[in-house]
Amino acid sequence: MKKTLALCLLIVLCVFTYIRTDSIEQDPYLITDYSRLKPIKVERVIAGHEEEQLVRLINEARSNNKTVSIAGQRHSQGGHTYYKDGIVVDMTSYNKILEIDPIRKQIRVQAGATWEDVQKAVNPYHLAVKTMQSQNIFTIGGSISINAHGRDIRNESLIKSVLSFRLLNADGEVITVSRTENAELLPLALGGYGLFGIILDVTLQLTEDEVYVMETDPIEVEEYIDYFQTRVLADPAMRMHIARISVAPDSSFLTEMYAVNYRHDPSADLNQYNRLQTRESNVIPVKIAFGLNRTFDWAKSWFWRMQANINENQKGKRISRNNAMRTHSEFMNYSQPGKNDLLQEYFIPIDEFAGFIADMKKVLGEEKLNLLNITVRYVNRDEEAVLSYAHEDMFALVCLFHSPLSDEAQAELGRGISRLIDEVLEHRGTYYLPYAPYPTMEQFHKSYPRYQEFIEAKHKYDPTGVYRNEFFRKYGGMDEWT
Amino acid sequence: MDIRVLIRSQSAFTLAAGMVYPFYLLFLKNIGNSYSKYGLAFAVFTITSAAFSQFIAPRLDRYGYRLLVISAGGMAGCMLIFPWVASYLVILILQLVMGACNAMQKMSERLLLADFTERGARGGPIGSYHFWTSIAAGFAVVLGGYLIDWLTIDALFYLSALLYGTSAWIVWRCRREPNDKSMSISGMSEGRHED
Repeated sequence: MKKTLALCLLIVLCVFTYIRTDSIEQDPYLITDYSRLKPIKVERVIAGHEEEQLVRLINEARSNNKTVSIAGQRHSQGGHTYYKDGIVVDMTSYNKILEIDPIRKQIRVQAGATWEDVQKAVNPYHLAVKTMQSQNIFTIGGSISINAHGRDIRNESLIKSVLSFRLLNADGEVITVSRTENAELLPLALGGYGLFGIILDVTLQLTEDEVYVMETDPIEVEEYIDYFQTRVLADPAMRMHIARISVAPDSSFLTEMYAVNYRHDPSADLNQYNRLQTRESNVIPVKIAFGLNRTFDWAKSWFWRMQANINENQKGKRISRNNAMRTHSEFMNYSQPGKNDLLQEYFIPIDEFAGFIADMKKVLGEEKLNLLNITVRYVNRDEEAVLSYAHEDMFALVCLFHSPLSDEAQAELGRGISRLIDEVLEHRGTYYLPYAPYPTMEQFHKSYPRYQEFIEAKHKYDPTGVYRNEFFRKYGGMDEWT
Repeated sequence: MDIRVLIRSQSAFTLAAGMVYPFYLLFLKNIGNSYSKYGLAFAVFTITSAAFSQFIAPRLDRYGYRLLVISAGGMAGCMLIFPWVASYLVILILQLVMGACNAMQKMSERLLLADFTERGARGGPIGSYHFWTSIAAGFAVVLGGYLIDWLTIDALFYLSALLYGTSAWIVWRCRREPNDKSMSISGMSEGRHED
């Protein structure tokens, strides 16, 4: 009897698990990205190992009318790394550090290497990356293909630190691209979402590793512009900055903020602080707290207070630049079937910040959106990339939403986000392209007025569309090319 | 100690092992890009298990219970260390320790199974033993997946350590030395040699 009961219980548990995970985004034979939205079938996934192998692959793909998409860590969330029935090149195994020049502060690295690989390689030389995302888990090729940005407020955009790269183009040729050689391709492939070829290796300008003292300040949304301009930007010792806005459904909602600043401390001895921190601490309790934050309003308030306390405790802490550029992310990993955390990012001109937040508050009050987090970073004006997002100095608002992945829930989220983007555009802002493609075509055109130039260049450099992805299927009319 | 205690302790042991094992492969995947590195890690495990079995063999009859306790305790220790490992060499050392624990557990499990059963009447107890340890492994794998989804793979290692510890405690609580009466009743040498 006991045995029958135990066996039945296990069978019930298995059936329950099967039903719970029987959704298209859990199908191991389909491919998707970090968002788990729009899984599709691809012909095959090939790990990149050798340059000759990749050249052969492109030539074969062109001869056989196959398409190629390029994938790194697949953290972009809008189908940028795959295309229906195409070949996906997984570049994560193409990850060697090729050369470090400590005198000129440069590194040449294969595109599948991550920022962590770069940090490990350059840390002994007391060098550091100039601009990268807040976390170090992304590949170099992926990061420059999405024209990433981060907490640094002094070193401009990531693509400014790219000196040159070698590109495997649609003709199967490997060409060097820099600001003097094949220069027309540089602003296309950087922030080009893998549509102009496989970036094989990249030469990056580095900077000095330094010791920073962390400073934290609670502020109100309305004071933030003044705070940032006078206390942060105007102080030449300030190197990095990030702020958070409360999403707790109480009086702090889109009103309270706190800022974390990293001020250069030239008196500190770098050798005491530059051992790379490879382990994230307190992942389990923070992950539990963040999990509650997804489901309960009270947990959002609690989580906001907890974050504020943690930040307060970091005041005065000294940290090396390389360690400051490898913040925790493991607690945010989410793998529950049928639901996911989805990022959106909006760029708002500095003087429009408070006005935008007020309008955002209105929209969030009317739409049913489960917003988990808003972080604020600063981006310099940078219009080098054809698909550039920073037409002037701006604040980047990274918003993390939690949503079911069902069609109905996605339609609802899409409607809400579309309304938010209307507000973004009203405030002379733009949105970021690596995330889920909720924005309409009209919103895309308004945010990226040089889109036509991008599409024309794509026709010129890749007329048969060897390099394709689902992002360009939607916004570049890729289907019409076949 | 009797067959029921053995089943209970080894079900906890299997629960702990079953919980970690499939996900342990994922964990190892993160330590290198090559499959030959996995291969090497597991080869270290099996070589140690084989070599250590020859050290245990002459001592097995005398220390069967203790070996069961030590193997579960050793595994619990390894599980507590895994989340903190930062080098491949430490992985190999842990594989080595786990290989030794595996030899102790497998050999003493078989010894005690033989001790607790009578020749000609082993089908029922061995069937029960297999059933409960397999059921435990089944629950372990499914629940392990849920646990990683909700928490992290580190949490799985910690829970596994707790279960290994429980397994060790169950055996320790009911320990009897081999010269106990109960041991001598339940089989002694012929049975063991046949096993």
